[in-house]
Amino acid sequence: MPKIKIAFLILITVLIFLSALFIGPRIINPVGIGDTEREILFSIRLPRVVVALLMGIALGAAGAILQGVLRNPLADPYILGISSGASLSAALGLLMGIYSFGRFTIPLTAFIGACLVSMLVGVFGWRRGGLWPERLLLAGVGLSFLFHAMLMLLMSVSSDEGLRRAVLWMFGDLAMADWSLVPYGFIFIISGLVISVSRSRALNALILGDEFAHSLGFSVNKERFFLFISMALMTAASVSLGGTIGFIGLLIPHIMRFIVGADSRVLIPASAIGGGAFLCLADLIGRSIMPPMEIPSGIITAIIGSPYFLYLLRRKDVLSI
Amino acid sequence: MSSASEMPILELSNVSFSYPGSRMIISGLSFSVHNGEFIGLLGANGSGKSTILKLSSGILRPYAGDVRLWNKPLGTFRNKDRAKLMCYLPQLLDINVPFKVRELVSMGLYPYDIPPHITAEEALYAVGLSEKSESYITNLSGGERRRVFIAMTLVQGAGILLLDEPLANLDIKYQLEFLRLLHDLREKRGIAIIMALHDINIALQFEKVMLIKDGKILDIGNPDAVLTGGMLKDAFDVGIDIKRQASGEAYISYKENI
Repeated sequence: MPKIKIAFLILITVLIFLSALFIGPRIINPVGIGDTEREILFSIRLPRVVVALLMGIALGAAGAILQGVLRNPLADPYILGISSGASLSAALGLLMGIYSFGRFTIPLTAFIGACLVSMLVGVFGWRRGGLWPERLLLAGVGLSFLFHAMLMLLMSVSSDEGLRRAVLWMFGDLAMADWSLVPYGFIFIISGLVISVSRSRALNALILGDEFAHSLGFSVNKERFFLFISMALMTAASVSLGGTIGFIGLLIPHIMRFIVGADSRVLIPASAIGGGAFLCLADLIGRSIMPPMEIPSGIITAIIGSPYFLYLLRRKDVLSI
Repeated sequence: MSSASEMPILELSNVSFSYPGSRMIISGLSFSVHNGEFIGLLGANGSGKSTILKLSSGILRPYAGDVRLWNKPLGTFRNKDRAKLMCYLPQLLDINVPFKVRELVSMGLYPYDIPPHITAEEALYAVGLSEKSESYITNLSGGERRRVFIAMTLVQGAGILLLDEPLANLDIKYQLEFLRLLHDLREKRGIAIIMALHDINIALQFEKVMLIKDGKILDIGNPDAVLTGGMLKDAFDVGIDIKRQASGEAYISYKENI
Protein backbone atom coordinates (compact mmCIF):
# COMPACT_ATOMS: atom_id res chain seq x y z
CA MET A 1 0.00 0.00 0.00
CA PRO A 2 2.73 2.59 0.83
CA LYS A 3 4.31 1.70 -2.53
CA ILE A 4 1.19 2.79 -4.41
CA LYS A 5 1.05 5.98 -2.36
CA ILE A 6 4.72 6.74 -3.03
CA ALA A 7 4.24 6.09 -6.76
CA PHE A 8 1.29 8.47 -6.70
CA LEU A 9 3.39 11.10 -4.89
CA ILE A 10 6.13 10.77 -7.50
CA LEU A 11 3.58 11.17 -10.28
CA ILE A 12 2.18 14.35 -8.71
CA THR A 13 5.73 15.67 -8.23
CA VAL A 14 6.58 15.08 -11.90
CA LEU A 15 3.40 16.87 -12.96
CA ILE A 16 4.15 19.84 -10.70
CA PHE A 17 7.76 19.89 -11.93
CA LEU A 18 6.67 20.03 -15.57
CA SER A 19 3.98 22.63 -14.89
CA ALA A 20 6.54 24.76 -13.05
CA LEU A 21 8.79 24.59 -16.11
CA PHE A 22 6.21 25.60 -18.68
CA ILE A 23 3.85 27.83 -16.71
CA GLY A 24 4.84 31.28 -15.51
CA PRO A 25 4.41 34.92 -16.46
CA ARG A 26 5.06 33.62 -19.96
CA ILE A 27 3.44 30.29 -20.77
CA ILE A 28 5.68 28.12 -22.91
CA ASN A 29 4.16 25.67 -25.34
CA PRO A 30 6.35 22.55 -25.12
CA VAL A 31 5.66 21.71 -28.77
CA GLY A 32 6.83 24.82 -30.64
CA ILE A 33 9.79 26.23 -28.71
CA GLY A 34 11.53 29.28 -30.19
CA ASP A 35 14.92 30.71 -29.25
CA THR A 36 13.56 33.10 -26.62
CA GLU A 37 11.51 30.32 -25.07
CA ARG A 38 14.50 28.02 -25.05
CA GLU A 39 16.52 30.72 -23.31
CA ILE A 40 13.82 31.27 -20.68
CA LEU A 41 13.33 27.54 -20.20
CA PHE A 42 16.94 26.47 -19.79
CA SER A 43 18.60 29.57 -18.29
CA ILE A 44 15.87 30.79 -15.98
CA ARG A 45 13.09 28.29 -15.38
CA LEU A 46 14.97 24.98 -15.26
CA PRO A 47 17.63 26.00 -12.72
CA ARG A 48 14.99 27.66 -10.58
CA VAL A 49 12.65 24.68 -10.62
CA VAL A 50 15.49 22.23 -10.02
CA VAL A 51 16.72 24.31 -7.09
CA ALA A 52 13.20 24.47 -5.63
CA LEU A 53 12.80 20.70 -6.03
CA LEU A 54 16.17 19.95 -4.40
CA MET A 55 15.61 22.38 -1.54
CA GLY A 56 12.18 20.95 -0.85
CA ILE A 57 13.55 17.40 -0.91
CA ALA A 58 16.30 18.35 1.52
CA LEU A 59 14.04 20.23 3.92
CA GLY A 60 11.29 17.61 3.95
CA ALA A 61 13.71 14.79 4.71
CA ALA A 62 15.70 16.85 7.23
CA GLY A 63 12.47 17.67 9.09
CA ALA A 64 11.42 14.01 9.22
CA ILE A 65 14.83 13.06 10.63
CA LEU A 66 14.97 15.85 13.22
CA GLN A 67 11.45 15.23 14.49
CA GLY A 68 12.35 11.58 14.98
CA VAL A 69 15.80 11.93 16.50
CA LEU A 70 14.70 14.66 18.89
CA ARG A 71 11.35 12.96 19.59
CA ASN A 72 9.79 16.33 19.05
CA PRO A 73 6.95 17.06 16.63
CA LEU A 74 7.94 20.73 16.43
CA ALA A 75 11.56 20.17 15.40
CA ASP A 76 12.73 21.41 12.02
CA PRO A 77 16.03 22.88 10.79
CA TYR A 78 14.51 26.35 10.56
CA ILE A 79 12.94 26.51 14.03
CA LEU A 80 16.03 25.05 15.69
CA GLY A 81 18.23 27.73 14.12
CA ILE A 82 20.23 25.17 12.14
CA SER A 83 19.31 26.77 8.80
CA SER A 84 20.20 30.27 9.93
CA GLY A 85 23.40 29.00 11.55
CA ALA A 86 24.36 27.36 8.27
CA SER A 87 23.58 30.60 6.37
CA LEU A 88 25.63 32.65 8.79
CA SER A 89 28.55 30.27 8.57
CA ALA A 90 28.47 30.34 4.76
CA ALA A 91 28.13 34.14 4.73
CA LEU A 92 31.05 34.52 7.13
CA GLY A 93 33.08 32.21 4.94
CA LEU A 94 32.37 34.31 1.86
CA LEU A 95 33.01 37.55 3.68
CA MET A 96 36.36 36.39 4.99
CA GLY A 97 37.24 35.40 1.47
CA ILE A 98 37.56 31.68 2.04
CA TYR A 99 37.54 30.21 -1.45
CA SER A 100 39.97 27.37 -0.89
CA PHE A 101 37.60 24.83 -2.37
CA GLY A 102 36.12 27.02 -5.09
CA ARG A 103 32.33 27.03 -5.16
CA PHE A 104 32.32 23.94 -2.96
CA THR A 105 33.35 26.29 -0.14
CA ILE A 106 29.76 27.52 0.26
CA PRO A 107 28.05 24.17 0.95
CA LEU A 108 31.09 23.09 2.99
CA THR A 109 31.01 26.11 5.31
CA ALA A 110 27.22 25.80 5.51
CA PHE A 111 27.63 22.15 6.52
CA ILE A 112 30.16 23.05 9.21
CA GLY A 113 27.76 25.73 10.46
CA ALA A 114 24.85 23.27 10.51
CA CYS A 115 26.90 20.75 12.51
CA LEU A 116 28.12 23.36 15.00
CA VAL A 117 24.65 24.75 15.58
CA SER A 118 23.20 21.25 15.99
CA MET A 119 25.76 20.60 18.70
CA LEU A 120 25.10 23.98 20.31
CA VAL A 121 21.34 23.41 20.36
CA GLY A 122 22.01 19.95 21.79
CA VAL A 123 24.23 21.36 24.55
CA PHE A 124 21.57 23.88 25.58
CA GLY A 125 18.78 21.33 25.32
CA TRP A 126 20.67 18.74 27.37
CA ARG A 127 19.94 18.42 31.04
CA ARG A 128 20.33 15.59 33.53
CA GLY A 129 21.33 13.01 30.97
CA GLY A 130 18.61 13.70 28.41
CA LEU A 131 17.37 16.08 25.74
CA TRP A 132 14.48 18.20 26.98
CA PRO A 133 12.05 19.08 24.19
CA GLU A 134 11.10 22.51 25.52
CA ARG A 135 14.68 23.50 26.30
CA LEU A 136 15.74 22.33 22.86
CA LEU A 137 13.13 24.44 21.08
CA LEU A 138 13.83 27.51 23.20
CA ALA A 139 17.56 27.13 22.61
CA GLY A 140 16.91 26.85 18.88
CA VAL A 141 14.66 29.89 18.81
CA GLY A 142 17.17 31.91 20.81
CA LEU A 143 20.08 30.93 18.60
CA SER A 144 18.02 31.54 15.50
CA PHE A 145 17.37 35.16 16.57
CA LEU A 146 21.07 35.64 17.26
CA PHE A 147 22.10 34.29 13.85
CA HIS A 148 19.53 36.37 12.04
CA ALA A 149 20.77 39.48 13.78
CA MET A 150 24.35 38.63 12.87
CA LEU A 151 23.38 38.00 9.26
CA MET A 152 21.69 41.39 9.20
CA LEU A 153 24.81 42.94 10.66
CA LEU A 154 26.88 41.31 7.93
CA MET A 155 24.42 42.57 5.36
CA SER A 156 24.77 46.14 6.53
CA VAL A 157 28.56 46.12 6.40
CA SER A 158 29.21 43.95 3.37
CA SER A 159 29.90 44.59 -0.31
CA ASP A 160 27.30 44.15 -3.03
CA GLU A 161 28.01 40.50 -3.73
CA GLY A 162 27.92 39.67 -0.02
CA LEU A 163 24.72 41.64 0.31
CA ARG A 164 23.07 39.73 -2.47
CA ARG A 165 23.81 36.36 -0.92
CA ALA A 166 22.99 37.50 2.59
CA VAL A 167 19.54 38.63 1.42
CA LEU A 168 19.13 35.28 -0.29
CA TRP A 169 20.02 33.45 2.89
CA MET A 170 17.72 35.42 5.07
CA PHE A 171 14.61 35.25 3.01
CA GLY A 172 15.10 32.23 0.80
CA ASP A 173 14.69 34.00 -2.50
CA LEU A 174 14.47 31.52 -5.35
CA ALA A 175 14.57 34.28 -7.99
CA MET A 176 18.35 34.29 -7.67
CA ALA A 177 18.67 30.56 -8.27
CA ASP A 178 21.24 29.42 -10.82
CA TRP A 179 23.11 26.26 -11.77
CA SER A 180 26.35 27.09 -9.99
CA LEU A 181 25.73 25.17 -6.78
CA VAL A 182 23.30 22.54 -8.04
CA PRO A 183 25.89 19.74 -8.46
CA TYR A 184 27.21 20.20 -4.90
CA GLY A 185 23.73 20.47 -3.49
CA PHE A 186 22.75 17.33 -5.34
CA ILE A 187 25.70 15.37 -3.95
CA PHE A 188 25.00 16.57 -0.39
CA ILE A 189 21.33 15.70 -0.64
CA ILE A 190 21.90 12.25 -2.13
CA SER A 191 24.49 11.47 0.56
CA GLY A 192 22.11 12.68 3.26
CA LEU A 193 19.25 10.61 1.88
CA VAL A 194 21.35 7.46 1.54
CA ILE A 195 22.67 7.78 5.09
CA SER A 196 19.28 8.51 6.63
CA VAL A 197 17.32 5.87 4.73
CA SER A 198 19.93 3.24 5.57
CA ARG A 199 19.51 4.24 9.25
CA SER A 200 15.73 4.51 9.18
CA ARG A 201 15.17 1.43 11.35
CA ALA A 202 17.38 2.96 13.98
CA LEU A 203 15.39 6.18 13.65
CA ASN A 204 12.17 4.24 14.28
CA ALA A 205 13.72 2.79 17.41
CA LEU A 206 15.02 6.19 18.57
CA ILE A 207 11.51 7.61 18.22
CA LEU A 208 10.47 5.13 20.92
CA GLY A 209 13.30 6.36 23.14
CA ASP A 210 16.98 5.69 23.76
CA GLU A 211 16.31 2.73 26.01
CA PHE A 212 14.17 0.99 23.41
CA ALA A 213 16.75 1.70 20.74
CA HIS A 214 19.43 0.15 22.92
CA SER A 215 17.29 -2.87 23.71
CA LEU A 216 16.51 -3.38 20.01
CA GLY A 217 20.23 -3.65 19.27
CA PHE A 218 21.25 -0.16 18.15
CA SER A 219 24.18 1.88 19.36
CA VAL A 220 22.23 4.96 20.37
CA ASN A 221 25.00 7.54 20.11
CA LYS A 222 26.37 6.22 16.85
CA GLU A 223 22.97 6.16 15.17
CA ARG A 224 22.10 9.62 16.44
CA PHE A 225 25.43 10.93 15.14
CA PHE A 226 24.87 9.56 11.63
CA LEU A 227 21.31 10.83 11.51
CA PHE A 228 22.44 14.30 12.58
CA ILE A 229 25.16 14.29 9.93
CA SER A 230 22.61 13.37 7.26
CA MET A 231 20.29 16.15 8.46
CA ALA A 232 23.16 18.67 8.49
CA LEU A 233 24.21 17.66 4.95
CA MET A 234 20.72 18.27 3.62
CA THR A 235 20.17 21.50 5.56
CA ALA A 236 23.53 22.81 4.28
CA ALA A 237 22.59 21.88 0.72
CA SER A 238 19.25 23.63 0.90
CA VAL A 239 20.73 26.76 2.48
CA SER A 240 23.53 26.93 -0.11
CA LEU A 241 21.05 26.53 -2.96
CA GLY A 242 18.45 29.07 -1.97
CA GLY A 243 18.70 30.29 1.60
CA THR A 244 16.48 29.59 4.57
CA ILE A 245 12.91 28.60 3.88
CA GLY A 246 10.83 27.67 6.88
CA PHE A 247 7.76 25.56 7.37
CA ILE A 248 8.52 22.77 4.88
CA GLY A 249 10.66 20.83 7.33
CA LEU A 250 8.00 21.21 9.98
CA LEU A 251 4.89 20.69 7.93
CA ILE A 252 5.69 18.10 5.28
CA PRO A 253 6.64 15.24 7.64
CA HIS A 254 3.33 15.69 9.50
CA ILE A 255 1.34 15.61 6.27
CA MET A 256 3.28 12.58 5.07
CA ARG A 257 2.77 10.76 8.37
CA PHE A 258 -0.92 11.21 7.71
CA ILE A 259 -0.61 9.84 4.17
CA VAL A 260 2.01 7.06 4.37
CA GLY A 261 2.28 6.43 8.13
CA ALA A 262 4.98 6.99 10.74
CA ASP A 263 7.47 4.29 9.70
CA SER A 264 10.67 6.24 8.94
CA ARG A 265 11.63 3.80 6.19
CA VAL A 266 8.75 5.20 4.18
CA LEU A 267 8.41 8.57 5.86
CA ILE A 268 11.87 9.91 4.96
CA PRO A 269 11.57 9.30 1.20
CA ALA A 270 7.93 10.42 1.23
CA SER A 271 8.81 13.65 3.07
CA ALA A 272 11.62 14.25 0.58
CA ILE A 273 9.31 13.83 -2.40
CA GLY A 274 6.49 15.77 -0.78
CA GLY A 275 8.83 18.61 0.22
CA GLY A 276 10.18 18.87 -3.32
CA ALA A 277 6.73 18.92 -4.87
CA PHE A 278 5.44 21.42 -2.32
CA LEU A 279 8.25 23.95 -2.80
CA CYS A 280 8.01 23.66 -6.61
CA LEU A 281 4.30 24.32 -6.38
CA ALA A 282 4.74 27.22 -3.96
CA ASP A 283 7.32 28.79 -6.26
CA LEU A 284 5.11 28.28 -9.31
CA ILE A 285 2.18 29.94 -7.58
CA GLY A 286 4.36 32.73 -6.21
CA ARG A 287 5.63 33.82 -9.60
CA SER A 288 2.44 33.22 -11.62
CA ILE A 289 -0.28 34.64 -9.44
CA MET A 290 0.32 38.33 -10.15
CA PRO A 291 3.15 38.87 -12.61
CA PRO A 292 5.48 40.61 -12.87
CA MET A 293 5.44 40.75 -9.10
CA GLU A 294 6.78 37.69 -7.32
CA ILE A 295 5.56 36.45 -3.98
CA PRO A 296 8.39 34.69 -2.08
CA SER A 297 7.89 30.93 -1.77
CA GLY A 298 8.10 31.08 2.00
CA ILE A 299 4.91 33.13 2.10
CA ILE A 300 3.08 30.75 -0.23
CA THR A 301 4.18 27.67 1.71
CA ALA A 302 2.83 29.25 4.87
CA ILE A 303 -0.47 30.31 3.29
CA ILE A 304 -1.15 26.85 1.84
CA GLY A 305 0.46 24.90 4.62
CA SER A 306 -0.80 26.49 7.83
CA PRO A 307 -4.52 25.78 7.38
CA TYR A 308 -3.82 22.16 6.50
CA PHE A 309 -1.46 21.86 9.42
CA LEU A 310 -4.07 23.29 11.77
CA TYR A 311 -6.64 20.87 10.37
CA LEU A 312 -4.29 17.98 11.11
CA LEU A 313 -3.73 19.32 14.59
CA ARG A 314 -7.44 18.87 15.27
CA ARG A 315 -7.28 15.20 14.36
CA LYS A 316 -6.25 13.33 17.44
CA ASP A 317 -5.34 10.13 15.66
CA VAL A 318 -2.72 11.84 13.53
CA LEU A 319 -1.05 14.26 15.88
CA SER A 320 -1.40 13.49 19.53
CA ILE A 321 0.75 16.25 20.86
CA MET B 1 14.04 -25.30 39.63
CA SER B 2 17.44 -25.29 41.29
CA SER B 3 20.03 -24.56 38.69
CA ALA B 4 22.79 -23.17 40.85
CA SER B 5 25.30 -25.59 39.43
CA GLU B 6 24.75 -24.31 35.88
CA MET B 7 26.57 -21.34 34.46
CA PRO B 8 24.67 -18.10 35.08
CA ILE B 9 23.36 -16.45 31.92
CA LEU B 10 23.57 -13.00 33.46
CA GLU B 11 25.97 -12.11 36.20
CA LEU B 12 26.71 -8.81 37.90
CA SER B 13 29.75 -8.79 40.14
CA ASN B 14 30.73 -5.89 42.39
CA VAL B 15 28.93 -3.37 40.21
CA SER B 16 29.10 0.26 41.33
CA PHE B 17 27.23 3.18 39.89
CA SER B 18 25.71 6.51 40.81
CA TYR B 19 23.95 9.27 38.93
CA PRO B 20 25.70 12.62 39.07
CA GLY B 21 24.11 14.73 41.79
CA SER B 22 21.87 11.95 43.06
CA ARG B 23 21.82 10.39 46.50
CA MET B 24 21.08 6.92 45.21
CA ILE B 25 24.30 4.99 44.98
CA ILE B 26 24.84 1.41 43.91
CA SER B 27 28.01 -0.10 45.22
CA GLY B 28 29.32 -3.62 45.18
CA LEU B 29 26.13 -5.07 43.70
CA SER B 30 26.39 -8.76 42.84
CA PHE B 31 23.82 -11.28 41.72
CA SER B 32 23.37 -13.86 39.01
CA VAL B 33 20.50 -15.13 36.92
CA HIS B 34 20.20 -18.67 35.62
CA ASN B 35 18.25 -20.16 32.77
CA GLY B 36 14.54 -20.31 33.47
CA GLU B 37 14.64 -18.15 36.58
CA PHE B 38 11.80 -15.75 37.27
CA ILE B 39 12.92 -13.08 39.70
CA GLY B 40 10.80 -10.34 41.22
CA LEU B 41 12.62 -7.11 42.03
CA LEU B 42 11.03 -5.31 44.96
CA GLY B 43 11.87 -2.09 46.70
CA ALA B 44 10.56 1.34 47.58
CA ASN B 45 10.45 4.19 45.05
CA GLY B 46 13.97 5.38 44.32
CA SER B 47 15.56 2.27 45.82
CA GLY B 48 17.38 1.51 42.56
CA LYS B 49 15.18 -1.10 40.86
CA SER B 50 15.24 0.64 37.48
CA THR B 51 18.93 1.41 37.78
CA ILE B 52 19.72 -2.24 38.44
CA LEU B 53 17.75 -3.26 35.34
CA LYS B 54 19.48 -0.60 33.24
CA LEU B 55 22.91 -1.70 34.47
CA SER B 56 22.02 -5.31 33.66
CA SER B 57 20.92 -4.39 30.16
CA GLY B 58 23.95 -2.23 29.38
CA ILE B 59 21.96 1.01 29.06
CA LEU B 60 23.99 2.30 31.99
CA ARG B 61 27.64 1.41 32.35
CA PRO B 62 28.97 0.68 35.83
CA TYR B 63 31.88 2.74 37.19
CA ALA B 64 33.37 -0.40 38.56
CA GLY B 65 32.57 -4.09 38.46
CA ASP B 66 31.53 -6.47 35.79
CA VAL B 67 28.36 -7.37 33.89
CA ARG B 68 28.62 -10.69 32.08
CA LEU B 69 26.16 -12.19 29.64
CA TRP B 70 26.64 -15.90 28.96
CA ASN B 71 29.97 -15.58 30.75
CA LYS B 72 31.25 -12.91 28.37
CA PRO B 73 31.61 -9.23 29.30
CA LEU B 74 28.48 -7.42 28.13
CA GLY B 75 30.53 -4.75 26.36
CA THR B 76 32.11 -7.30 24.01
CA PHE B 77 28.81 -8.23 22.38
CA ARG B 78 27.76 -6.70 19.09
CA ASN B 79 24.63 -4.64 19.73
CA LYS B 80 22.46 -6.87 17.56
CA ASP B 81 23.74 -10.06 19.13
CA ARG B 82 23.06 -8.67 22.58
CA ALA B 83 19.52 -7.70 21.50
CA LYS B 84 18.83 -11.31 20.49
CA LEU B 85 19.84 -12.52 23.95
CA MET B 86 18.48 -9.81 26.21
CA CYS B 87 15.56 -7.43 26.04
CA TYR B 88 14.74 -4.46 28.26
CA LEU B 89 11.28 -2.95 28.56
CA PRO B 90 11.30 0.53 30.11
CA GLN B 91 8.76 1.70 32.61
CA LEU B 92 7.74 4.84 30.72
CA LEU B 93 6.15 4.33 27.32
CA ASP B 94 5.55 7.89 26.18
CA ILE B 95 5.12 7.56 22.44
CA ASN B 96 3.58 10.54 20.66
CA VAL B 97 4.22 9.41 17.10
CA PRO B 98 1.28 7.64 15.46
CA PHE B 99 2.86 4.27 14.69
CA LYS B 100 0.46 1.48 13.95
CA VAL B 101 0.36 -1.32 16.48
CA ARG B 102 1.56 -3.88 13.93
CA GLU B 103 4.52 -1.67 12.94
CA LEU B 104 5.61 -1.32 16.55
CA VAL B 105 5.36 -5.01 17.34
CA SER B 106 7.35 -5.83 14.19
CA MET B 107 10.21 -3.65 15.44
CA GLY B 108 11.03 -6.57 17.72
CA LEU B 109 12.46 -8.17 14.57
CA TYR B 110 15.07 -5.44 14.05
CA PRO B 111 18.00 -7.39 15.49
CA TYR B 112 17.30 -10.26 13.12
CA ASP B 113 18.19 -10.76 9.49
CA ILE B 114 16.03 -13.88 9.32
CA PRO B 115 12.75 -13.63 11.26
CA PRO B 116 12.72 -15.99 14.26
CA HIS B 117 10.02 -18.12 15.84
CA ILE B 118 7.04 -15.80 16.43
CA THR B 119 5.22 -13.39 14.13
CA ALA B 120 3.74 -10.02 15.06
CA GLU B 121 0.25 -11.47 14.61
CA GLU B 122 0.94 -14.33 17.00
CA ALA B 123 2.42 -11.97 19.57
CA LEU B 124 -0.58 -9.65 19.33
CA TYR B 125 -2.90 -12.63 19.76
CA ALA B 126 -0.95 -13.66 22.84
CA VAL B 127 -1.56 -10.27 24.49
CA GLY B 128 -5.18 -10.14 23.34
CA LEU B 129 -4.80 -7.29 20.87
CA SER B 130 -5.32 -9.04 17.52
CA GLU B 131 -8.13 -6.71 16.57
CA LYS B 132 -6.00 -3.60 17.27
CA SER B 133 -3.25 -4.51 14.83
CA GLU B 134 -4.06 -1.61 12.48
CA SER B 135 -4.85 0.95 15.21
CA TYR B 136 -2.59 3.86 16.03
CA ILE B 137 -0.66 3.42 19.25
CA THR B 138 -1.58 6.99 20.18
CA ASN B 139 -5.26 6.00 20.33
CA LEU B 140 -4.76 3.15 22.79
CA SER B 141 -5.16 3.28 26.56
CA GLY B 142 -2.15 3.03 28.86
CA GLY B 143 -2.79 -0.64 29.52
CA GLU B 144 -3.21 -1.48 25.85
CA ARG B 145 0.00 0.34 25.02
CA ARG B 146 1.86 -1.72 27.57
CA ARG B 147 0.49 -4.92 26.05
CA VAL B 148 1.66 -3.76 22.61
CA PHE B 149 5.19 -3.38 23.92
CA ILE B 150 4.99 -6.70 25.68
CA ALA B 151 4.07 -8.20 22.30
CA MET B 152 7.14 -6.47 20.88
CA THR B 153 9.40 -8.11 23.47
CA LEU B 154 7.80 -11.46 22.62
CA VAL B 155 8.69 -10.95 18.97
CA GLN B 156 12.24 -9.97 19.90
CA GLY B 157 12.46 -13.41 21.44
CA ALA B 158 15.38 -12.82 23.81
CA GLY B 159 16.29 -15.39 26.46
CA ILE B 160 16.48 -12.78 29.23
CA LEU B 161 13.71 -10.27 29.77
CA LEU B 162 14.39 -7.26 31.96
CA LEU B 163 10.99 -5.74 32.65
CA ASP B 164 10.63 -2.45 34.50
CA GLU B 165 7.22 -2.52 36.17
CA PRO B 166 5.41 -4.15 33.25
CA LEU B 167 2.30 -4.59 35.39
CA ALA B 168 1.82 -0.84 35.85
CA ASN B 169 -1.40 0.45 34.19
CA LEU B 170 -2.63 -3.10 33.64
CA ASP B 171 -6.04 -4.28 34.77
CA ILE B 172 -5.84 -7.15 37.21
CA LYS B 173 -7.09 -9.46 34.44
CA TYR B 174 -4.20 -8.56 32.17
CA GLN B 175 -1.73 -8.62 35.04
CA LEU B 176 -2.63 -12.24 35.63
CA GLU B 177 -2.74 -13.09 31.93
CA PHE B 178 0.62 -11.45 31.44
CA LEU B 179 2.17 -13.39 34.31
CA ARG B 180 0.70 -16.60 32.91
CA LEU B 181 2.12 -15.74 29.52
CA LEU B 182 5.58 -15.26 31.03
CA HIS B 183 5.32 -18.54 32.91
CA ASP B 184 4.34 -20.23 29.67
CA LEU B 185 7.31 -18.74 27.87
CA ARG B 186 9.59 -19.87 30.63
CA GLU B 187 8.22 -23.41 30.44
CA LYS B 188 8.45 -23.60 26.66
CA ARG B 189 11.61 -21.68 25.93
CA GLY B 190 13.42 -21.61 29.25
CA ILE B 191 13.74 -17.83 29.29
CA ALA B 192 14.84 -15.96 32.40
CA ILE B 193 12.92 -12.94 33.64
CA ILE B 194 13.73 -10.16 36.06
CA MET B 195 10.73 -8.00 36.75
CA ALA B 196 10.53 -4.89 38.88
CA LEU B 197 7.18 -4.72 40.60
CA HIS B 198 5.30 -3.04 43.40
CA ASP B 199 2.64 -5.54 44.32
CA ILE B 200 3.91 -7.62 47.23
CA ASN B 201 0.96 -10.02 46.90
CA ILE B 202 2.08 -10.86 43.38
CA ALA B 203 5.71 -11.09 44.48
CA LEU B 204 4.64 -13.69 47.05
CA GLN B 205 3.73 -15.97 44.14
CA PHE B 206 7.21 -15.81 42.63
CA GLU B 207 9.83 -18.45 43.19
CA LYS B 208 12.54 -15.91 43.79
CA VAL B 209 12.50 -12.30 44.87
CA MET B 210 15.20 -9.69 45.35
CA LEU B 211 14.53 -7.01 47.93
CA ILE B 212 16.33 -3.71 47.34
CA LYS B 213 16.98 -0.74 49.57
CA ASP B 214 19.18 2.26 48.80
CA GLY B 215 20.84 0.49 45.89
CA LYS B 216 21.77 -2.57 47.92
CA ILE B 217 20.31 -6.05 47.99
CA LEU B 218 18.70 -6.64 51.37
CA ASP B 219 18.05 -10.26 50.56
CA ILE B 220 17.48 -12.56 47.64
CA GLY B 221 15.73 -15.91 47.63
CA ASN B 222 12.38 -17.56 48.16
CA PRO B 223 9.65 -15.04 49.08
CA ASP B 224 8.77 -17.09 52.18
CA ALA B 225 12.22 -16.36 53.50
CA VAL B 226 12.76 -12.89 52.08
CA LEU B 227 9.39 -11.20 52.38
CA THR B 228 9.00 -11.23 56.15
CA GLY B 229 7.42 -8.48 58.19
CA GLY B 230 10.79 -7.28 59.44
CA MET B 231 12.40 -7.21 56.01
CA LEU B 232 9.46 -5.39 54.49
CA LYS B 233 9.49 -2.86 57.31
CA ASP B 234 13.16 -2.25 56.55
CA ALA B 235 12.63 -1.95 52.77
CA PHE B 236 9.41 0.03 52.66
CA ASP B 237 9.28 1.67 56.11
CA VAL B 238 5.71 0.45 56.58
CA GLY B 239 4.35 -2.09 59.00
CA ILE B 240 3.21 -5.11 56.99
CA ASP B 241 2.18 -8.58 58.09
CA ILE B 242 2.42 -11.64 55.94
CA LYS B 243 -0.54 -13.88 56.62
CA ARG B 244 -1.45 -17.29 55.35
CA GLN B 245 -4.81 -18.62 54.30
CA ALA B 246 -5.92 -22.09 55.26
CA SER B 247 -4.98 -23.20 51.75
CA GLY B 248 -1.40 -22.08 52.45
CA GLU B 249 -1.47 -19.08 50.18
CA ALA B 250 0.33 -16.05 51.58
CA TYR B 251 -0.97 -12.51 51.44
CA ILE B 252 -0.07 -9.20 53.04
CA SER B 253 -2.02 -7.17 55.50
CA TYR B 254 -1.21 -3.62 56.46
CA LYS B 255 -0.74 -2.90 60.12
CA GLU B 256 -1.46 0.78 59.63
CA ASN B 257 -4.89 2.21 58.91
CA ILE B 258 -5.37 4.57 56.00
